[in-house]
This record gives sequence, structure tokens and C-alpha cells, in this order.
Amino acid sequence: MAMSEAAAKVDKLDVLEPVPVLVGRPGDREINDQLFQPVWTQTRRTWLALFAICVSLAGLLFLAIAYTVATGIGVWGNNVPVGWAFDIINFVWWIGIGHAGTLISAILLLFQQKWRTSINRFAEAMTLFAVMQALIFPALHTGRPWFDFWLFPYPSTLALWPNFKSPLMWDVFAVNTYFLVSLLFWYVGLLPDLAALRDTSKSRTARIAYGIFALGWRGSARLWRHYRIAYLLLAGISTPLVLSVHTIVSFDFAVSVLPGWHTTIFPPYFVAGAIFSGFAMVLTLVIPARKAFGFENVITGKHLENMAKVMLATGMMVSYGYLMEHFHAWYGGNRFEFDTFFKTRMFGPYAPVYWTMIACNVITPHIFWWKKARTSLWVLWIASILVNVGMWTERFIIIVTSLHRDYLPSSWAQYTPTWVDWSIYAGTIGMFGTLFLLFLRFVPSVSASEVKELRRELEHEAHAPAAGHG
Amino acid sequence: MKSYVLGEFTEEAALVAAARSLREQGWAGLDAHSPVPVHGIDEALGLERSVVPLIALIGALTGTVAGIAMQWWMNAVDYPINVGGRALVSPPTWVPIAFETTVALAALSIVFGLFALGGFPRLHHPVFEVEGFRTASVDGFWLSAEVEPARAEAAAEALRKAGARNVSRVDDEEGT
Repeated sequence: MAMSEAAAKVDKLDVLEPVPVLVGRPGDREINDQLFQPVWTQTRRTWLALFAICVSLAGLLFLAIAYTVATGIGVWGNNVPVGWAFDIINFVWWIGIGHAGTLISAILLLFQQKWRTSINRFAEAMTLFAVMQALIFPALHTGRPWFDFWLFPYPSTLALWPNFKSPLMWDVFAVNTYFLVSLLFWYVGLLPDLAALRDTSKSRTARIAYGIFALGWRGSARLWRHYRIAYLLLAGISTPLVLSVHTIVSFDFAVSVLPGWHTTIFPPYFVAGAIFSGFAMVLTLVIPARKAFGFENVITGKHLENMAKVMLATGMMVSYGYLMEHFHAWYGGNRFEFDTFFKTRMFGPYAPVYWTMIACNVITPHIFWWKKARTSLWVLWIASILVNVGMWTERFIIIVTSLHRDYLPSSWAQYTPTWVDWSIYAGTIGMFGTLFLLFLRFVPSVSASEVKELRRELEHEAHAPAAGHG
Repeated sequence: MKSYVLGEFTEEAALVAAARSLREQGWAGLDAHSPVPVHGIDEALGLERSVVPLIALIGALTGTVAGIAMQWWMNAVDYPINVGGRALVSPPTWVPIAFETTVALAALSIVFGLFALGGFPRLHHPVFEVEGFRTASVDGFWLSAEVEPARAEAAAEALRKAGARNVSRVDDEEGT
């Protein structure tokens, strides 16, 4: 009963002591037993129920995609002038969610933040699956997805090459690189645990399956030396990469001439928004999962509190972005910019979406000034959902309101999503959930090898307490 | 034919001490196996600095050069695309893609370089013949020596003397 033991240990903590990143000092085998338990135990009913729901939604995704491809994107609500809508909203939303995973696994590793250790695999898996969902949208958005390979520079019989001056091509390279690097980083991080899964497996099938993915890992000192530096370097290159991806996504907008799309603050403001929404999604996923698996001793209140603080900080950066956009629109003296920000968005037909965005993204994070809110699971979870919603509405506001009222009133039009739009969106959530549930079932969601290292570091610190302060 | 002699330690410090002592006795082909990187084992085994950073640098530079060359050749030479009369050779617009190709190639060379250095994928290895070796990925710290079969017994003795338990020997008939 590792679950209740872990929970009991957490309960016994002194309320006046700072919450540790690892409760107790479990031995190596204990760590393995606890963290691998979800993989080795029987499939649970809750898991099956959730899986059934997610798979059904994923089925809806395939139906909606098949319908779109067979009929054409006219089945979406997109029109002239709102040529970008759910396809790009959802693309930016999903990509943004992915960013927290890379931030946690790479940037916090470089900053030697110990609290990243227990949540990094979780967050990286989230990144990977979120980017997969994101990739679906631009692929369909081209209208003839069977020609998507034209986006890649290959020597074709047409004897022409893609236009690399187009932000569309930048996106292709940025998002594909992001997916590739996230996948490699995640897989390399998994190797020691895959080997441990192979070595602790009870059945031959499991041993062979995990053995294949472990590639023959023997924990060799000769390889650990390469591995550690490789992991650090991957973190090092992922750091500018993650910043570049949302920067390039923001260029899709910033390079155009539409009112509301080209303030110079776009790249940093997009990156901050991405991290903001990504942390929200990590919280949305991690709170139920740690409860279900009894991982409260490895993913402690400290982790949740720190994530809440990051959300508070990035939420304020996003608010600053909004503030500056509005300031530029007023100070710049451009009539169209002014109308977009102060009339269309605030009081136009999509005003409820705008005010939802303000409520969710600007107001909600301020609850985290209170420690009570940062330590309450319900507050954290609900706030994280609100931020997810808020960041989705932000992309809706940026894209739809700017497009539906541009320069000439004769070209103005309303946009309403169709059932196909909603099905594809809901479907990607189902697909994401399906992949995430499979991940929780078949791979340890907290890295055992890194928690073992963390314990050693904490023990080392306890022996030399002065070393930590400088 | 080669033989592998393995011994298990429960403590990291004991593993490091044993590795150092065996190396000082002149044993070659030593390797340690542990669930986590062991502090001080590199010095004890006399391992040199990793070449991974060099591989990464080569990959990254190749990516940069390839990214710039690709965009220049494709858009300015082989199929010049005139966009509103703007300069065909305009390096600023190449930056995003050149950056991405740099990162992509660096990551690929780091990971596949790592796999090559580890001889991956190698699903079977003689040390896996030892049933107890399963702990090497959980909580056991193993020292292995790759030796001539004639010297296997001596190596096993040296390991035992250094404090190892579960000392085992595997003969690899196919050779490696």
C-alpha cells in the first residue's frame, strides 16, 4: 500500500517547515517500486473509463478530419475575411501548451532547479502530445493536405522550391524541429527507466518490449559520462529552441499588416503566454494523476506551489503584453489599431470572449499571491482550467477580431464555428488524453533514475548545509 | 573468445574504491554499471572527457551552414523567387530557418552520437546472462571486467578481494 503510506508521510509534515521537493529519503529500490507501480499493476477502472471517453473523442477527430478532407475546408466556419479561425487558434493554443514542458525539462535543468526533477517527464510527455495535436491544424488548414509535402524542400519534378521568406515556411521548420527535439529529449531521458522496466519485468513479453526500447542500456559508466553531457546539451539547445518556436509563431501574425497583429511586443508576449498556458496544463494533468497514483511524496506541495508562482509571474507578463498592445494602439495614432483595440475587441460582437480572456488571464492568476490558494488543490486545479480557457480565448480574440473588422467596412463579416470546427477541436483534446493515458499506463510518469539522483543531492546538501547558500 | 567477470557492490563509494584498486592492479577492460551516474567513477576508471560536445558542435555548425546554403541556393540561385522586388540575397530572412536547422542537426547528432558511442541498439550483451545483473538498473552497483578466459578466475578473485558479492563469470563464445 505505497499510496496510503506516501499520503500518511505527507500528512505528518510540520506545517511550519518548508515543504520539501521529496518527502523522506526512500531507498533506490523503494523509489523504483513506487514509481513503477502504475506500470506493473492491473489496469484500473478509472483509467479504462477515462480511456474510453478519450478514445471516443479521438474517433470523432478522425471522422471530422475525414469529412473535412473529403469535402473541403468549406465545412469549417472560415470565410472571407476570417480566413484563419479555429485552425490557427487551436494550433497556437496547443503549441503554447507544449512550451511549459520544455521550460521545465530544459530551462529549469540549466538553472539547477531541484523541483523540476519529479515533474519533468510528465511535462515533456505533455509537450510531445500537445505538439502532435498542433501539427494537425496547419496540415488541414492548407486545404489540400495531400499536397502538404510541398512544404518540404525536396527536389521535385515541378523544379521549384518553397519560398523561405515566408513565415509559413519558418513555422514548418520551427514546429517540426520542436517536435523532433522534444521527442529525442524525452526518449533519451527515458532510457535508464526503460532499462529498469526491462530488468524488473515479471513477464517475458514485457521484458522483450521494454528491452527493445531500452536499446541495450547497461548503466555503463563509460556511457553515463556521455549521457550526462548529452542530456545537458540537449537542454541547452532546447532552451533557445522553445523561445524561437513561439517567436516564429508570433511572426505569422507580426509579419502581416492587419490591425492588432503587429506590435513589436508580439514575440516575447507570445512566449510568456505559451509558458503561462503550459504550466496551467501541467497543473490540470498533474493534480489528478499524483492523487490517483499516490505520488504526493515525490510531487509535493512544493512543486504545485512553484508552478503557481510561475503562473503568477507569466500571467503578469501576459497582462503587460495586453497593456502594451493597447498603449501602442492609442499612442501610435493609427485609427485602425485604435478601433481594433478600443472598440471592436472591447465592445464588438466578440466582447464576451474578450472579457472572458481578461477575467481568466489577467485576474485569475492574482489569486496566487495568497499561499492558501497556492496550496489548495481545488483552487489550483480550477485556476489552471480557467487559464487554459483564457489562453484559448486570447488566441480567438487575436485572430478572429482582427480579421473580421479590418480596413474596409465592405469586407467585414461575422465568424461562427461549425460543428466540424468544434469536433476537430474536441477531438484533439481526446487524442491528447488518449496519448497521455497510454503514457501514464506504460511508462513511469516520474523519472525513477532522476529521483534517485535527487535524493543523493538532497543527502549531500544535508551533510554540507552551508554549501547551498551563497 | 572473451570472458566477462562481474561483481556487485551495495555502496557507490565501495564501487569507486574497487574500480580504482582494480585499475591500479593493472586490470584493463573495466566498466561500472549503475542505476545513476556515480560520482568519481570517471577518475577511478580513468575515463577521458566525453566527445559528445564536439559531436554536437560539428552537428550544429553543419546545420547552420546547410540551412543558409539551402535557402540561398534554392531561393536565389536555382529558382529565384522575386517577392515584390526585394533582394534575392537577404540574410535576415534566413535566420529563423537557419536557426532551426542548427538546432535540429545538433540534437540529431547528440542523440545518434550517443547511441553510436554506446553501441546502441545492442539488445543482447553477455553481461545480461547474469541474472543478478538485473539490479544494475535498480539499486545495484556493478563492476565488470572484460578479460581473456585464462585470466577470468584471477579477475574474479580480485573482485572478491575488493569486496564484491555475487561475483559471476560469463564466457562470450561469439566474441565481441
